[in-house]
Amino acid sequence: MDFRPLNDTERRQLISALRGNVESDAAILMDRRNTSFAGTAEEVTDDEVISAIKSVPCHY
Amino acid sequence: MFQGLVSTANRLYGTLQRTFLRGRPALVEAPQLPALPRSFKRLERVVLTAEVSRTLFEEYAAHRASQRGEEEIGWVLLGVREVDHAIVLATLPAGAQRSAGVAHVQFNKNAQALASRIVRQWDKRLVMLGIVHTHPGNLRHPSDGDFHGDSAWVGQLRGGDGIFAIGTAEAVSDHGGPPHVQTMNGLTLCWYGLKQGDDNYRPLPVEVTKGVDLALPLHPVWETIEAFANPLERLCVQQAGMTFQVVGDAAGSALVVCLKLAEPGAALRIVLKDRQAAWYWQRGEELHGISPSCEQLDRNVYLLLADLAAGGKDH
Repeated sequence: MDFRPLNDTERRQLISALRGNVESDAAILMDRRNTSFAGTAEEVTDDEVISAIKSVPCHY
Repeated sequence: MFQGLVSTANRLYGTLQRTFLRGRPALVEAPQLPALPRSFKRLERVVLTAEVSRTLFEEYAAHRASQRGEEEIGWVLLGVREVDHAIVLATLPAGAQRSAGVAHVQFNKNAQALASRIVRQWDKRLVMLGIVHTHPGNLRHPSDGDFHGDSAWVGQLRGGDGIFAIGTAEAVSDHGGPPHVQTMNGLTLCWYGLKQGDDNYRPLPVEVTKGVDLALPLHPVWETIEAFANPLERLCVQQAGMTFQVVGDAAGSALVVCLKLAEPGAALRIVLKDRQAAWYWQRGEELHGISPSCEQLDRNVYLLLADLAAGGKDH
Protein backbone atom coordinates (compact mmCIF):
# COMPACT_ATOMS: atom_id res chain seq x y z
CA MET A 1 0.00 0.00 0.00
CA ASP A 2 1.25 3.45 -0.95
CA PHE A 3 0.93 5.86 1.99
CA ARG A 4 2.71 8.78 0.34
CA PRO A 5 1.27 12.28 0.86
CA LEU A 6 -0.99 13.61 -1.88
CA ASN A 7 0.51 16.15 -4.23
CA ASP A 8 -1.17 19.53 -4.75
CA THR A 9 -3.25 18.42 -7.73
CA GLU A 10 -4.44 15.27 -6.03
CA ARG A 11 -5.27 17.19 -2.88
CA ARG A 12 -7.33 19.75 -4.79
CA GLN A 13 -9.17 16.99 -6.66
CA LEU A 14 -9.92 15.14 -3.44
CA ILE A 15 -11.18 18.28 -1.70
CA SER A 16 -13.31 19.08 -4.74
CA ALA A 17 -14.67 15.55 -4.75
CA LEU A 18 -15.52 15.67 -1.06
CA ARG A 19 -17.24 19.02 -1.52
CA GLY A 20 -19.22 17.68 -4.49
CA ASN A 21 -20.22 14.65 -2.47
CA VAL A 22 -21.47 16.79 0.42
CA GLU A 23 -23.19 19.43 -1.69
CA SER A 24 -24.69 17.42 -4.51
CA ASP A 25 -24.28 13.72 -3.74
CA ALA A 26 -21.66 13.33 -6.48
CA ALA A 27 -20.02 9.92 -6.32
CA ILE A 28 -16.41 9.56 -5.26
CA LEU A 29 -14.65 6.91 -7.31
CA MET A 30 -12.33 4.36 -5.75
CA ASP A 31 -9.73 2.23 -7.48
CA ARG A 32 -10.98 -1.30 -6.88
CA ARG A 33 -7.44 -2.69 -6.81
CA ASN A 34 -6.01 -0.60 -3.97
CA THR A 35 -8.96 1.55 -2.74
CA SER A 36 -7.15 4.75 -3.73
CA PHE A 37 -9.04 7.87 -4.83
CA ALA A 38 -9.80 7.62 -8.55
CA GLY A 39 -11.68 10.84 -9.25
CA THR A 40 -15.29 11.90 -9.27
CA ALA A 41 -18.28 11.03 -11.33
CA GLU A 42 -21.14 13.26 -12.26
CA GLU A 43 -23.76 10.72 -13.08
CA VAL A 44 -26.43 11.52 -15.61
CA THR A 45 -29.97 10.34 -15.03
CA ASP A 46 -31.67 7.82 -17.28
CA ASP A 47 -34.50 10.31 -17.76
CA GLU A 48 -32.19 12.94 -19.25
CA VAL A 49 -30.73 10.51 -21.78
CA ILE A 50 -34.01 8.82 -22.65
CA SER A 51 -35.78 12.15 -23.07
CA ALA A 52 -33.12 13.19 -25.59
CA ILE A 53 -33.35 9.86 -27.43
CA LYS A 54 -37.13 9.89 -27.63
CA SER A 55 -37.17 13.43 -28.99
CA VAL A 56 -34.65 12.86 -31.79
CA PRO A 57 -36.26 14.48 -34.82
CA CYS A 58 -36.75 12.84 -38.17
CA HIS A 59 -33.73 13.33 -40.42
CA TYR A 60 -33.86 14.04 -44.13
CA MET B 1 -42.50 -22.52 -31.70
CA PHE B 2 -42.41 -23.92 -28.16
CA GLN B 3 -40.01 -26.69 -29.14
CA GLY B 4 -37.77 -24.11 -30.73
CA LEU B 5 -37.93 -22.06 -27.59
CA VAL B 6 -37.00 -25.03 -25.41
CA SER B 7 -34.12 -25.84 -27.74
CA THR B 8 -32.87 -22.28 -27.60
CA ALA B 9 -33.23 -22.20 -23.84
CA ASN B 10 -31.35 -25.46 -23.36
CA ARG B 11 -28.53 -24.30 -25.60
CA LEU B 12 -28.18 -21.11 -23.64
CA TYR B 13 -28.54 -22.89 -20.29
CA GLY B 14 -24.86 -23.84 -20.25
CA THR B 15 -23.88 -20.32 -21.19
CA LEU B 16 -26.03 -19.01 -18.37
CA GLN B 17 -24.37 -21.27 -15.83
CA ARG B 18 -20.92 -20.33 -17.01
CA THR B 19 -21.75 -16.66 -17.09
CA PHE B 20 -23.76 -16.14 -13.93
CA LEU B 21 -22.93 -18.92 -11.55
CA ARG B 22 -19.19 -18.73 -11.85
CA GLY B 23 -19.11 -14.99 -11.59
CA ARG B 24 -17.46 -14.30 -14.91
CA PRO B 25 -17.18 -10.66 -15.79
CA ALA B 26 -19.63 -9.06 -18.20
CA LEU B 27 -18.78 -9.00 -21.88
CA VAL B 28 -18.31 -5.27 -21.64
CA GLU B 29 -16.53 -3.39 -18.92
CA ALA B 30 -16.75 0.34 -18.56
CA PRO B 31 -13.49 2.08 -19.26
CA GLN B 32 -11.92 4.48 -16.80
CA LEU B 33 -13.16 7.85 -17.91
CA PRO B 34 -12.48 11.36 -16.72
CA ALA B 35 -15.17 13.06 -14.67
CA LEU B 36 -17.68 15.26 -16.43
CA PRO B 37 -17.01 18.96 -16.14
CA ARG B 38 -19.79 21.12 -14.81
CA SER B 39 -19.60 23.77 -17.53
CA PHE B 40 -19.07 23.40 -21.24
CA LYS B 41 -17.59 25.45 -24.04
CA ARG B 42 -18.52 25.15 -27.70
CA LEU B 43 -17.50 21.78 -29.11
CA GLU B 44 -14.24 22.09 -31.02
CA ARG B 45 -13.75 18.45 -32.01
CA VAL B 46 -15.25 15.02 -31.71
CA VAL B 47 -13.24 11.96 -30.70
CA LEU B 48 -14.38 8.51 -31.76
CA THR B 49 -13.07 5.30 -30.34
CA ALA B 50 -11.64 3.05 -33.02
CA GLU B 51 -14.45 0.54 -32.59
CA VAL B 52 -17.12 3.24 -32.84
CA SER B 53 -15.57 4.48 -36.07
CA ARG B 54 -15.32 0.96 -37.43
CA THR B 55 -18.89 0.13 -36.40
CA LEU B 56 -20.29 3.12 -38.27
CA PHE B 57 -18.48 2.34 -41.50
CA GLU B 58 -19.04 -1.42 -41.37
CA GLU B 59 -22.74 -1.17 -40.56
CA TYR B 60 -23.19 1.54 -43.18
CA ALA B 61 -21.60 -0.75 -45.77
CA ALA B 62 -23.71 -3.71 -44.60
CA HIS B 63 -26.83 -1.58 -44.81
CA ARG B 64 -26.06 -0.54 -48.38
CA ALA B 65 -25.71 -4.20 -49.32
CA SER B 66 -29.03 -5.12 -47.71
CA GLN B 67 -32.52 -5.18 -49.22
CA ARG B 68 -33.23 -1.78 -47.68
CA GLY B 69 -29.92 -0.36 -48.85
CA GLU B 70 -31.53 2.49 -50.77
CA GLU B 71 -33.01 3.92 -47.58
CA GLU B 72 -31.34 6.39 -45.27
CA ILE B 73 -29.93 4.86 -42.10
CA GLY B 74 -28.53 6.25 -38.86
CA TRP B 75 -27.22 5.84 -35.33
CA VAL B 76 -27.51 7.60 -32.00
CA LEU B 77 -24.19 8.49 -30.40
CA LEU B 78 -23.60 8.19 -26.66
CA GLY B 79 -20.44 9.20 -24.86
CA VAL B 80 -18.76 11.60 -22.53
CA ARG B 81 -18.98 15.35 -22.89
CA GLU B 82 -15.80 17.17 -21.97
CA VAL B 83 -15.30 20.93 -21.76
CA ASP B 84 -14.60 21.57 -25.45
CA HIS B 85 -14.88 18.14 -27.04
CA ALA B 86 -16.81 14.93 -26.80
CA ILE B 87 -15.76 11.30 -26.81
CA VAL B 88 -18.15 8.94 -28.57
CA LEU B 89 -18.22 5.60 -26.79
CA ALA B 90 -21.36 3.87 -28.02
CA THR B 91 -23.53 3.59 -31.14
CA LEU B 92 -27.22 2.73 -31.05
CA PRO B 93 -28.57 1.58 -34.45
CA ALA B 94 -31.75 2.94 -36.02
CA GLY B 95 -33.23 -0.55 -35.87
CA ALA B 96 -35.17 -2.70 -38.31
CA GLN B 97 -38.41 -1.11 -37.10
CA ARG B 98 -37.25 2.37 -38.13
CA SER B 99 -39.34 4.47 -40.45
CA ALA B 100 -37.15 5.23 -43.43
CA GLY B 101 -37.10 5.89 -47.13
CA VAL B 102 -34.79 7.42 -49.70
CA ALA B 103 -35.31 10.87 -48.18
CA HIS B 104 -35.82 10.37 -44.45
CA VAL B 105 -35.05 8.21 -41.45
CA GLN B 106 -36.83 8.13 -38.11
CA PHE B 107 -35.15 5.85 -35.58
CA ASN B 108 -36.88 3.22 -33.47
CA LYS B 109 -36.71 5.35 -30.34
CA ASN B 110 -38.14 2.77 -27.93
CA ALA B 111 -35.41 0.27 -28.74
CA GLN B 112 -32.72 2.94 -28.47
CA ALA B 113 -34.12 4.11 -25.13
CA LEU B 114 -33.96 0.57 -23.74
CA ALA B 115 -30.49 0.09 -25.17
CA SER B 116 -29.33 3.29 -23.50
CA ARG B 117 -30.48 1.89 -20.16
CA ILE B 118 -28.53 -1.30 -20.80
CA VAL B 119 -25.34 0.48 -21.85
CA ARG B 120 -25.58 3.01 -19.06
CA GLN B 121 -25.85 0.33 -16.38
CA TRP B 122 -22.11 -0.03 -17.03
CA ASP B 123 -21.37 3.70 -16.93
CA LYS B 124 -23.87 6.32 -15.79
CA ARG B 125 -21.75 9.14 -17.19
CA LEU B 126 -22.72 8.37 -20.77
CA VAL B 127 -24.86 11.09 -22.29
CA MET B 128 -26.56 11.70 -25.60
CA LEU B 129 -24.06 13.40 -27.90
CA GLY B 130 -25.62 13.42 -31.34
CA ILE B 131 -26.77 11.68 -34.47
CA VAL B 132 -25.27 10.09 -37.55
CA HIS B 133 -27.45 9.63 -40.60
CA THR B 134 -26.86 9.02 -44.27
CA HIS B 135 -27.88 10.66 -47.51
CA PRO B 136 -28.46 8.57 -50.62
CA GLY B 137 -26.94 11.15 -52.95
CA ASN B 138 -23.80 13.22 -52.59
CA LEU B 139 -25.10 15.91 -50.19
CA ARG B 140 -22.42 15.85 -47.48
CA HIS B 141 -24.08 18.54 -45.38
CA PRO B 142 -27.21 18.27 -43.23
CA SER B 143 -30.30 19.37 -45.14
CA ASP B 144 -32.62 22.28 -44.33
CA GLY B 145 -35.06 19.76 -42.93
CA ASP B 146 -32.35 18.38 -40.66
CA PHE B 147 -31.59 21.87 -39.39
CA HIS B 148 -35.23 22.55 -38.64
CA GLY B 149 -35.40 19.57 -36.29
CA ASP B 150 -31.86 19.59 -34.93
CA SER B 151 -31.81 23.28 -34.02
CA ALA B 152 -34.83 22.77 -31.79
CA TRP B 153 -33.45 19.54 -30.33
CA VAL B 154 -29.86 20.45 -29.35
CA GLY B 155 -31.02 22.64 -26.48
CA GLN B 156 -31.52 19.58 -24.30
CA LEU B 157 -27.98 18.27 -24.84
CA ARG B 158 -25.09 19.03 -22.50
CA GLY B 159 -23.79 22.46 -23.36
CA GLY B 160 -26.66 22.93 -25.82
CA ASP B 161 -24.33 21.59 -28.47
CA GLY B 162 -24.81 18.51 -30.63
CA ILE B 163 -22.74 16.36 -32.97
CA PHE B 164 -24.08 15.42 -36.37
CA ALA B 165 -22.53 13.34 -39.09
CA ILE B 166 -23.68 12.78 -42.65
CA GLY B 167 -22.78 9.58 -44.41
CA THR B 168 -22.51 9.41 -48.17
CA ALA B 169 -21.22 6.84 -50.60
CA GLU B 170 -18.76 8.59 -52.84
CA ALA B 171 -15.60 7.52 -54.54
CA VAL B 172 -13.14 9.70 -52.68
CA SER B 173 -9.62 9.11 -51.49
CA ASP B 174 -9.17 7.33 -48.17
CA HIS B 175 -6.30 9.68 -47.40
CA GLY B 176 -6.19 13.37 -46.67
CA GLY B 177 -9.18 15.67 -46.88
CA PRO B 178 -10.59 18.27 -44.49
CA PRO B 179 -10.31 17.48 -40.75
CA HIS B 180 -14.09 16.99 -40.40
CA VAL B 181 -14.21 14.30 -43.10
CA GLN B 182 -13.64 10.56 -42.62
CA THR B 183 -13.45 8.16 -45.51
CA MET B 184 -13.18 4.41 -45.68
CA ASN B 185 -13.70 2.03 -48.56
CA GLY B 186 -15.61 4.51 -50.65
CA LEU B 187 -17.83 5.69 -47.80
CA THR B 188 -17.61 9.14 -46.26
CA LEU B 189 -18.69 10.57 -42.91
CA CYS B 190 -18.69 14.36 -42.55
CA TRP B 191 -18.89 15.65 -38.99
CA TYR B 192 -20.63 18.84 -37.85
CA GLY B 193 -21.54 20.64 -34.67
CA LEU B 194 -24.68 22.64 -34.03
CA LYS B 195 -25.16 24.75 -30.94
CA GLN B 196 -28.45 26.12 -29.73
CA GLY B 197 -29.06 29.47 -31.41
CA ASP B 198 -26.63 28.90 -34.28
CA ASP B 199 -27.93 29.61 -37.77
CA ASN B 200 -25.98 26.78 -39.39
CA TYR B 201 -23.91 23.69 -38.70
CA ARG B 202 -20.15 24.11 -38.40
CA PRO B 203 -17.56 21.54 -39.52
CA LEU B 204 -16.26 19.58 -36.54
CA PRO B 205 -12.78 18.02 -36.73
CA VAL B 206 -12.89 14.32 -36.00
CA GLU B 207 -10.22 12.21 -34.32
CA VAL B 208 -10.00 8.50 -33.63
CA THR B 209 -8.49 7.03 -30.51
CA LYS B 210 -8.13 3.55 -29.07
CA GLY B 211 -11.23 2.17 -27.48
CA VAL B 212 -14.35 0.08 -27.80
CA ASP B 213 -17.95 0.66 -28.77
CA LEU B 214 -19.71 -0.03 -25.49
CA ALA B 215 -22.98 -0.77 -27.26
CA LEU B 216 -21.53 -3.13 -29.85
CA PRO B 217 -22.42 -6.30 -27.87
CA LEU B 218 -26.05 -5.19 -28.16
CA HIS B 219 -26.03 -4.99 -31.96
CA PRO B 220 -26.35 -8.78 -32.50
CA VAL B 221 -29.43 -8.81 -30.25
CA TRP B 222 -30.97 -5.64 -31.65
CA GLU B 223 -33.93 -7.53 -33.14
CA THR B 224 -34.62 -8.89 -29.65
CA ILE B 225 -34.28 -5.44 -28.10
CA GLU B 226 -36.79 -4.10 -30.61
CA ALA B 227 -39.17 -6.98 -30.04
CA PHE B 228 -39.25 -6.55 -26.26
CA ALA B 229 -38.49 -2.84 -25.91
CA ASN B 230 -41.88 -1.75 -24.63
CA PRO B 231 -42.45 -4.34 -21.86
CA LEU B 232 -38.81 -4.15 -20.77
CA GLU B 233 -38.95 -0.37 -20.64
CA ARG B 234 -42.03 -0.59 -18.42
CA LEU B 235 -40.27 -3.09 -16.16
CA CYS B 236 -37.17 -0.89 -15.94
CA VAL B 237 -39.28 2.01 -14.71
CA GLN B 238 -41.08 -0.16 -12.19
CA GLN B 239 -38.20 -2.39 -11.00
CA ALA B 240 -35.06 -0.46 -10.14
CA GLY B 241 -33.00 -3.60 -9.61
CA MET B 242 -33.29 -5.02 -13.11
CA THR B 243 -30.03 -5.70 -14.89
CA PHE B 244 -29.16 -6.89 -18.39
CA GLN B 245 -26.41 -8.93 -19.92
CA VAL B 246 -25.58 -10.22 -23.36
CA VAL B 247 -24.51 -13.84 -23.50
CA GLY B 248 -23.43 -15.68 -26.57
CA ASP B 249 -22.16 -18.91 -27.98
CA ALA B 250 -21.52 -20.28 -31.43
CA ALA B 251 -25.26 -20.40 -32.06
CA GLY B 252 -25.72 -16.69 -31.48
CA SER B 253 -26.31 -14.10 -28.82
CA ALA B 254 -29.14 -13.59 -26.37
CA LEU B 255 -30.21 -10.81 -24.05
CA VAL B 256 -30.58 -11.91 -20.44
CA VAL B 257 -32.74 -9.96 -18.03
CA CYS B 258 -32.15 -10.44 -14.31
CA LEU B 259 -34.53 -9.44 -11.57
CA LYS B 260 -33.23 -10.08 -8.09
CA LEU B 261 -35.62 -11.68 -5.63
CA ALA B 262 -35.78 -11.06 -1.90
CA GLU B 263 -34.32 -14.43 -0.98
CA PRO B 264 -30.49 -14.30 -0.89
CA GLY B 265 -28.98 -15.64 -4.09
CA ALA B 266 -32.34 -15.84 -5.79
CA ALA B 267 -33.29 -14.18 -9.05
CA LEU B 268 -35.69 -14.39 -11.93
CA ARG B 269 -33.82 -14.65 -15.23
CA ILE B 270 -35.33 -14.28 -18.66
CA VAL B 271 -33.31 -15.32 -21.70
CA LEU B 272 -34.51 -13.43 -24.76
CA LYS B 273 -33.48 -14.50 -28.21
CA ASP B 274 -35.08 -13.21 -31.39
CA ARG B 275 -38.74 -12.95 -30.40
CA GLN B 276 -38.76 -15.75 -27.85
CA ALA B 277 -38.33 -15.85 -24.10
CA ALA B 278 -37.12 -18.61 -21.80
CA TRP B 279 -37.68 -18.24 -18.08
CA TYR B 280 -35.50 -19.38 -15.19
CA TRP B 281 -35.73 -19.21 -11.44
CA GLN B 282 -32.26 -19.05 -9.89
CA ARG B 283 -31.79 -20.27 -6.31
CA GLY B 284 -28.16 -20.07 -5.32
CA GLU B 285 -26.33 -22.20 -7.85
CA GLU B 286 -29.44 -23.93 -9.13
CA LEU B 287 -31.38 -22.83 -12.18
CA HIS B 288 -34.94 -24.07 -12.63
CA GLY B 289 -36.83 -23.66 -15.87
CA ILE B 290 -40.21 -22.00 -15.58
CA SER B 291 -43.17 -22.40 -17.91
CA PRO B 292 -44.65 -18.97 -18.57
CA SER B 293 -48.35 -18.64 -17.98
CA CYS B 294 -48.95 -15.87 -20.49
CA GLU B 295 -47.38 -14.33 -23.56
CA GLN B 296 -47.01 -10.76 -22.36
CA LEU B 297 -43.54 -10.45 -20.90
CA ASP B 298 -44.07 -7.85 -18.18
CA ARG B 299 -47.38 -9.36 -17.08
CA ASN B 300 -45.73 -12.74 -16.80
CA VAL B 301 -43.02 -11.26 -14.56
CA TYR B 302 -45.63 -10.04 -12.12
CA LEU B 303 -47.58 -13.30 -12.22
CA LEU B 304 -44.38 -15.18 -11.36
CA LEU B 305 -43.48 -12.73 -8.62
CA ALA B 306 -46.96 -13.16 -7.19
CA ASP B 307 -46.54 -16.94 -7.27
CA LEU B 308 -43.14 -16.72 -5.58
CA ALA B 309 -44.48 -14.34 -2.97
CA ALA B 310 -47.24 -16.83 -2.23
CA GLY B 311 -44.59 -19.52 -1.75
CA GLY B 312 -45.42 -21.43 -4.93
CA LYS B 313 -43.09 -24.37 -5.52
CA ASP B 314 -44.59 -25.95 -8.57
CA HIS B 315 -42.58 -24.05 -11.21
